[in-house]
This record gives sequence, structure tokens and C-alpha cells, in this order.
Amino acid sequence: MKRLLNLLPPLAFAGALLLIWHVATDLRLVSPVFLPTPARAFGDLAARFADGTIWEPLGATVQRMIFGWFFASLVGIALGAAIGLTPLARDLLEPTLEFVRPLPASAMIPVAILFFGLSENMAVSVIAFGSIWPVLMSSIYGFGAVRVRLQEVSALLGLSRVEFLSKIAIPSAMPDILAGMRSGLAVSLILAVVTEMQASLPGLGRDIFLAQRSFRSGELYAGLVMLGLLGVLINHGLQIAENRLLRWRPQRS
Amino acid sequence: MGRLLRGALLPVLFLLFWEFAAKSGWLVYDSLSWPSAILVAGLGALRDGSLLLATWQTCQAALLGLLIGSAIGVLLGSILGLWSFMARMAGPTFDALRAIPSIALMPLFLLMMGWGLSMEASVVAYACTWPVLIATWAAVRGVEPRLLEVADVLEMQFGERLRKIVLPAAFARINVGLRIALGVALVVAVTVEIAVNPRGLGYSLVLAQQSLKADLMYAQLLWLALIGYLLNAILKTVDAPGGGARRGA
Amino acid sequence: MTLASTKADPASGASAPVAVSLRKVGVTYAMGRPVLEDISFDVREGEFLSIVGPSGCGKTTLLRMLAGLLRPTVGEALFDGQPIMAPSRERAIVFQDYTNALLPWRTVSGNVALALEKTMPVKAERDARVAQLVEKMGLSHAADRFPTQLSGGMQQRVQIARCLSQEPRIMLMDEPFGALDAMTRQTLQDELMALAAERRTTTVFITHDLEEAIYLGDRVIVLSANPGRIAQTIEVELPRPRHQLTTREDPRFLAHRHHLFGLLQGH
Repeated sequence: MKRLLNLLPPLAFAGALLLIWHVATDLRLVSPVFLPTPARAFGDLAARFADGTIWEPLGATVQRMIFGWFFASLVGIALGAAIGLTPLARDLLEPTLEFVRPLPASAMIPVAILFFGLSENMAVSVIAFGSIWPVLMSSIYGFGAVRVRLQEVSALLGLSRVEFLSKIAIPSAMPDILAGMRSGLAVSLILAVVTEMQASLPGLGRDIFLAQRSFRSGELYAGLVMLGLLGVLINHGLQIAENRLLRWRPQRS
Repeated sequence: MGRLLRGALLPVLFLLFWEFAAKSGWLVYDSLSWPSAILVAGLGALRDGSLLLATWQTCQAALLGLLIGSAIGVLLGSILGLWSFMARMAGPTFDALRAIPSIALMPLFLLMMGWGLSMEASVVAYACTWPVLIATWAAVRGVEPRLLEVADVLEMQFGERLRKIVLPAAFARINVGLRIALGVALVVAVTVEIAVNPRGLGYSLVLAQQSLKADLMYAQLLWLALIGYLLNAILKTVDAPGGGARRGA
Repeated sequence: MTLASTKADPASGASAPVAVSLRKVGVTYAMGRPVLEDISFDVREGEFLSIVGPSGCGKTTLLRMLAGLLRPTVGEALFDGQPIMAPSRERAIVFQDYTNALLPWRTVSGNVALALEKTMPVKAERDARVAQLVEKMGLSHAADRFPTQLSGGMQQRVQIARCLSQEPRIMLMDEPFGALDAMTRQTLQDELMALAAERRTTTVFITHDLEEAIYLGDRVIVLSANPGRIAQTIEVELPRPRHQLTTREDPRFLAHRHHLFGLLQGH
């Protein structure tokens, strides 16, 4: 009962916003070309779910971002471990990475198009390039912060290099790795949308773009709402996975 | 010094290999230029002013958007921070709005404003609002309650309270959010230009690619990296005395 | 005075073979300031040796050297007659900072199992051994909890259990009870003594607490600071088993305490 009561104010706020939106469009304060009524936006989304036409672009976008993100995470963690654990790799690679990192990932789109054309590979490589940075930076930090004491324990127990990695270093860096992967996934969603718009690859991003070109604002908003939902779902899903994997962490208040 | 040399080792080897491989004809590929040609193209673009003009256009949109987004972020963040009831009410809605990739709003703003500065700055503003809002929210919540009681005693109005008590007390932490937003602003501006807006560095990158001027494209890419790097370096020096920002992600 | 000072062999193990032997050992860190100088002593098998000294006397450095985590700059550190070159499972070390030495992502059982995963590849066999050790240290009710959910004393018990699982020939303990409250500390002192007596494990115990050094040890080495040198070695001829009340009230205990107190004050 108490929990239900707690839900009331946020719902009321969201409802009030929707109401303002509805009134503004209903009274033609804003042109319906720019802003459809909320009923139309959500109706369009519901219709696309009902007739099943949402699944194909949704699936394409999700698949693209997961591929890029997964690849970026693998490389990011491996590189992060090398740089975080070995001073030589740090000296060799870090300055270059520091120079490339601030480059907007979308600026790699033209380069990727030159190499791969307007293809799926182009999109995945750009997504991977962009979403590797959060994973890489937090992995470097996480592996660099493995406690000296635990390195000593590993030496005293005669653990091999592989055992040290799997039993000490990776679990120790795991909170940082997961946090980085979560930010990386958010980046990959953005880049998936951008590459779809740029290269006209099937997906939610292209749908939004096409809706704008043909002035179908209902569909445009439906797409935006879908992207918002997707972002929230992904973030929550990873948060849950994170809490499950990191059960050992002391609960913060 | 030794570290500097080791850091330069891989890039230098890479550039030398690239130059040699391309010049000797061993590596021939439309999309590959070679370092010396890229340097020449870059210097040319610098001299004829096209590079600087594009840079100015990008920075203009990024800064304008940053300004608007920060103002909105500080205002909303203060409101959420000062009244926990507001935070409970509006928090979930903001979380949902925040989850929409800012770039996805591009078509919407394009629909409303057409191509140009205002549309680009709007997308940047939307993207910059969130980091500032989150930082301000956390910062204001952390303001010493004693100070707010002082404001109560002095019977300050909301604006006065914000200006004289809350924002100065929360400044250091809001600053962290502003710095994140500055980085976001550049990235989003370039992205909007690449995707739809025919102006600035992003557009000239696309133009160079479409006219198959690989050397010019790489030169612009390098220039963009340089700007990002300098921006980062500046942010780091600003960062140092406060010591507020964390390492890592 | 009943104090038999300096180089006499420990009464308890005069005939026992030597486990560890230090010969004119010195350690100097990179900056050139010596930490330890001219340290020579033997530890006999089954002996409980306490080392006590003020902060800065190099106690921890000495123990790390015995563990093989660092090498002497001059002199020789021998274990079983062989120079100590690297860490070995035969020499277990219990660190003072238990929070840093345990794997926070493993449960109590998981932490104890860490040392056994190579030597006992069969899981059922290993689990049984872990359960046995966990029970021995009074941790059975907490076997599935994570270190951050335990009190300091419990965490230190986990570390001791992990070291026991190595079945070490020698236990090196670096102020293991220094961060614990007085009650927990006394309980663990008695448990440790019982363990050492039962297994006859050679133990080198470092502390800055005089009473603890006397109460636990067969012999106490007193270090002086800057650089760390052996100030004196005393035999502790208090009968075992010892008892928190009666032993500490024994006139010989008080005499030792008095003597060592004066010695440490002098520096």
C-alpha cells in the first residue's frame, strides 16, 4: 500500500506533463506538424507493436549495438588489463590513446564509410570505436587498482599468471569493468541511431529520420518514445545484472 | 623523458610504416592517403581559412548549446535538489527523457527549425542539460542544511536564495558537471553536422569523404582530435586544484 | 633476576632442528637509509618466537623478508638451510590489514579454498577440508558470508584459516591482532596458542604490544629503531598452557614486562 502511494507523485507528474502536451496540441497552440497529440504518438507506437512492424527495425538496432558493444567490451577489457597491469604497455599505449580518445566517435563515420561503404560493418565498427572508451578507461583504472596486498597473497600462494588474472585481477576490477560497460552500452545506442541515419541502414534511427522527411510526426514521436524505453530498459537490465554479480559489495545507503 | 619516447614509439612507427607502404605502392587503396599528403592537405585548409571557418561554426553551436543547456540544467537541478518532493515526483520522468539519445532528437528539431545554427544548438543544449542537471541536483542536495536555515531566517526569496546561498555553496560540484557537458557539447555538435547539418567541421569531414579527398578528411580528423585533446588538457588543469573529479570513467 | 638473557637456546626446543636462520642480515631501501642492520638469530622448529619493537624498527620488513617478499641487502636469510629467494606455500603470512588481504568477492569458504585449489583439484575433497578448517576457526555459521559482512575478529579468523589450509611449515604473523578490540584480541591469542601447540607449527609473531609478545612467546626478541637492530633476546619460561588471568599475574610475567618496558623506554 505504502509502495503504491509512493508511486503516485511520479505518475501524477508524468500525467501532468502529458496533459499540458495534450492541451497545447489540442488547442492548436503548436502546429500538429511539429507536435502530434500524445494520444497519436503513443497510438502510433501501439499500432506498430500491434501490427508487428516495430520488431524488425527494433531488432536491427539492438543487434547492431550489441555486436559493436560486445566487440568493444572484449577489446577494451583486454587492453585495459594489459595497460593497467603492465607498466610497459601503459607507457607504450597510453599517450596514443589519450590523443585518440577525445575524438568524437561520429567523426569516424566518414572514415568507416571510406573503408566499408554504407554497410553493416561500417556501423558496427563505428559503434565499437565509440563504446570502447568507457570500458577501456574504467578497466585501466580497475586493473591498476588491484590491491598490492592481494598481489602479495597471490605470490605467497604461488598462483600462476593466468590464475592471478582469473581469481584476483578480474574479480577485483569487475565493478569498474561493469560500470564502464554500462556507459559503453548507452554510447552504442546513440551511435547505432547515428549510423542508421547516416548510412540509411534499417533500424529505429532510420525510421525516425524517414518520418521527419515525410512529416509524419506521430511516427517520429513513436520512435523517440521507443528509443527512450529501450534506453531505460537496457540501463535497468544491466543494473540488475551488476547487482547480482557484485553481491559481495557492501550495500551503500 | 624515457616515458615520452616510449609513448611516441608506436605512433611514429605507425606513421613511418604508413608513409613508406603507401609511397612504395605496396599499399594502394582509395581510402588510404599517406602522412605527408595529409599534412600538406591540412596546411592548405588552414591557409585558405576553410578549416578555421568550420571550426568556428562548430564551436559556436557547441558553446551556445552548452550555455542554454547548462542554464536549464542548473535551474532544474536546483529545484530537484532543494525540494526532495519534486525530485520524487519528477525523477522518473527525467530518467526516461534522459534515456532518449540526444541525437535521436535531431529529426525533431530539424522539423521545427530547419537546418542551421539554432537546430544544432538545440540538440547540443538538450544533451548538455543532463550532466549539469545531475551534478547540480547532487550538489544542491549536499549543501550544508545550516546554510539553508540561514536563508530561512533572512527570509530570502527563491531567486535570492539560489544566487546568494545555494549556487556558491554547490559551485565546485556543479563545475564537474559543466566540464562533462563541455566535452559532450563538442561531440554532439560534430555528430549533428555529420548526420544532417550542412555546416562546421563534421560537415566538411563528410564532404571530404564524399569527394574522395582522403588526405583532407584525415587532416580534418587529426585537427578534430587535436581540438578534443586540447579541450581535455584544459579541463584537466582546471580540474587539478579542486581535486573534485574522479579518475576513470 | 630470573631473566635468562641473550643467546641461550630456547629451553623448549634446545634439541629441535633449526627452521629459520638469519646471519648478519641488513636491509637498505632504495633511498639509502638502512631499515635493518646486523640481524642474526635462529628459529627452531616448533618454537613460538615473538618480535617486539617500536614503530620504525623494521619489524614488518623483517617478516616480509622471511616470507620471501623482499630480499636482504646484505647477509643471509635461510629456511631449511636454503636461502629464501621467493615466496613459498611452506611459509604462510597473516597480515595485519585483513580487509585488504581477503578477496572481498569470495565468501568465507571461498577465501579459505583459494589456497587449496591447486593442491586439491577434486572439489568434494577440497570442500570437506575447507569445511573442517572453517569449523576449526569457529566460522561455520558464517561460511557463506562475504568478508565485508563480518567483524574484524571474524575476518582475521578467515585469514588464519586460509593460512592453515596451506599446511605451512612456519606461520609468519604481522601484528595480526593489532587492529582488534581488547576482548577479541585475547580470545584470538588463546586460540592461536592452542593451534600452535596442537600442530607444533613454528611461528614468528610480530607485535608492538609487550604483554602480547611475552604472553604468546617461548622467546622474545626486542628490536630497537633507526636502524632496526636486536636490542635483546629473552627466554620466557612461563608454563604452558597459559591463561589470560593467572599467567599475566605471574611474578615472572611481570618481571619480564618490567624489564622490556624499561628497555623500550630507553630508545
